[in-house]
Amino acid sequence: MAENSGTDPAVETNTEENAAASATIIKVTVKTPKDKEEIAIAEDSSVAQFKEEISKRFKAKQDQLVLIFAGKILKDGDTLGQHGIKDGLTVHLVIKTAQKSSSGSSQTSASSGPGPSQGNTAGTANPSPAGNLGTPQGSGPSPTPTQPPNVLAGFGDLSGLSNLGMGSANFMELQQQMQRQLMSNPEMLSQIMENPLVQSMMSNPDLMRQMIVANPQMQQLMERNPEISHMLNNPELMRQTMELARNPAMMQEMMRNQDRALSNLESIPGGYNALRRMYTDIQEPMFSAAREQFGNNPFSALGGNTDNSGVQPSRTENREPLPNPWGPPDASAATTTTASGTATTTSSTTSSTTPSVSNPLGISSSSLGNGMFNSPGMQSLMQQISENPQLMQNMLSAPYMRTMMQSLAQNPDIASQVFTNNPLFAGNPQLQEQMRQQLPVFLQQMQNPESLSVMTNPRAMRALMQIQEGLQTLQTEAPGLMPSLIPGGMAAGIPGAPLPTGVNVTPENPPPSGPAPAPAPTPTPTPAAGTNTAQQQLMQQMLQMFAGGNALTQTPEVRFQQQLEQLSAMGFINREANLQALIATGGDINAAIERLLGSQPS
Amino acid sequence: DVNAAADLSTTFVAMADGSSFNVKLYIYDLSKGLARQLSPMMLGEHTSIVVYGEEFFFGGGGIMSCFPGGTILGMSDSTVDLGNTEVPRDLFQEYLSSLRESTYRPEKYHLFEHNCNTFSSEVAQFLTGTKIPSYITDLPSEVLATPFGQALRPFLDSVTITPSGENGMNGYGQW
Repeated sequence: MAENSGTDPAVETNTEENAAASATIIKVTVKTPKDKEEIAIAEDSSVAQFKEEISKRFKAKQDQLVLIFAGKILKDGDTLGQHGIKDGLTVHLVIKTAQKSSSGSSQTSASSGPGPSQGNTAGTANPSPAGNLGTPQGSGPSPTPTQPPNVLAGFGDLSGLSNLGMGSANFMELQQQMQRQLMSNPEMLSQIMENPLVQSMMSNPDLMRQMIVANPQMQQLMERNPEISHMLNNPELMRQTMELARNPAMMQEMMRNQDRALSNLESIPGGYNALRRMYTDIQEPMFSAAREQFGNNPFSALGGNTDNSGVQPSRTENREPLPNPWGPPDASAATTTTASGTATTTSSTTSSTTPSVSNPLGISSSSLGNGMFNSPGMQSLMQQISENPQLMQNMLSAPYMRTMMQSLAQNPDIASQVFTNNPLFAGNPQLQEQMRQQLPVFLQQMQNPESLSVMTNPRAMRALMQIQEGLQTLQTEAPGLMPSLIPGGMAAGIPGAPLPTGVNVTPENPPPSGPAPAPAPTPTPTPAAGTNTAQQQLMQQMLQMFAGGNALTQTPEVRFQQQLEQLSAMGFINREANLQALIATGGDINAAIERLLGSQPS
Repeated sequence: DVNAAADLSTTFVAMADGSSFNVKLYIYDLSKGLARQLSPMMLGEHTSIVVYGEEFFFGGGGIMSCFPGGTILGMSDSTVDLGNTEVPRDLFQEYLSSLRESTYRPEKYHLFEHNCNTFSSEVAQFLTGTKIPSYITDLPSEVLATPFGQALRPFLDSVTITPSGENGMNGYGQW
């Protein structure tokens, strides 16, 4: 049927209407979403004729077929030639399965997402071009063909949105938009930050807090982590957060460190959570302590992570800039904050005499914190704590603390793990063994409220430190002396009231670690001293002593009986002063003497 | 802008009589901004088709749609006006449904060979008969042609790019 006589117009006209007529046969590819077929058809066929062929091939009814070519719908009355359909070209076919409804609006509304500016900000500076179309079907405002996808517009949009959109669009959407914009343009973030409006908003912690709290996600988080609401309620923290938010580089670094720390801590089961909670409330003093003293490592690690790991999604990274690791080691840095409610953090640096710091929390914390408590920062904190009983008390009485203690108690495995990890014990497996055995006892002690109360006694704390120091010195000076000294030392030196731990940590020597519930004098400064056995014995004794649940509250006088006598023998007749000095120095005669001489009474 | 106004009015008119719908191609340059930091992508560009006031694209979740500029990538970096289509929306929806059941099922996503750009290209063809700029569609094959690309292929086979959007069509949902 390839009559190629194109010359006769009549024939041609005929063929136009006649599918089977003389025109060239062309092969047209008909493509459906699923399928593709090549259909041979006369070049001058009509669309209707074409469809006939198609319906045979695709086994569909003709009126179900919709042909599209070059963006145009081929109507039955058209011809293929009209649309420029030639050999080898592809025509799209859609086989209608559903009723062709006049407006697919049901689908529309479903799939046209809840864009924040939809419909609302019709007139606003809106960077999205196809903009605010709520209904697609030809109604409504059109998409602006040109779009200004620049940052300013984006930002303008934000403010526009906040004016208009806030009302009707919900906060989430707004946030999402913001997020999107931020994602696409990093500079925008800094631009936003620089916007005075934003800045003023940010410096108003209350407002920020409200905003944050209003976020349902945040609310969820807050439910899960009460510390977060704590945090939010603290204007200081909020401000810090804002600072951080302003500085993306800082934030990034912070997050990185957090991650690192997080992975460190994660390895310790159970303890991590407890520590986390604990940290949250202690974070302030810690921070200030750490800020000057130490820096990145375990400290900010702890600082960074805890509940921020939960908070991250809400963008309230509130960790300060990483502390300066090389800052002047200034114990007075610990002045600023005190944990929850304590009045004055005595910016006392007086205790700078003792480089050792009582570590009331014992090894557990230190190893949990990867040596956190061994860090100078921690030490200064501890100093501060010991100076300020209130602080200690608060810290200890906080629920998390108990939780931690409890979890430790219940979980001897953790504790032992913790102990083994503790660098203090690292070199001394025997000691570790000891510890492990004594663990339950020790843990018991930790929970003893009396211990807690003693912890708050600054003098006791100081005494601990002194004793510790003294023991240490002795250890190095006269290793052989230790064993014999111990019993005596014990009797005299121990203030009696059981202390959870009097672990003194000295930076110079591997911290003596005495989880000994006893006051301090962890008899184990260094294994190197060669008095391993002695140490163990001492520890054991101490432990036993406290296991006995003693509450020998001896008066200072009784305690320092021996020393007092010695002092008076030396010529210090002022008993009161002696006593004071002894108390202050925890029974260390030499130090007491110095003290006495320093103050030069009569 | 006279031009803008003219465009606008044309579109208005077209929209008004329901016979013509503007089709645009959104191109997202994934190598800049936060997108880069968040998802190191080798495929330089993500594209989507915007028509009927919606943005359609193909990702790991299948064919999805959202408010234009509504994915996490935000507004596109550049757009190409593909002209107008007569295809009414519901027809388009049907077309997409078919696609979704066949060649554009979520699992069919392949970072290089069958990705968002493939989709955009096909849809553009369908709607307007025009193709999207070739540099976009050629990118994958260029990369694949390099030994590097070949080496990475197994890894890439499993990678999908799905900017999260408002929701997927017919409830496919976003990540």
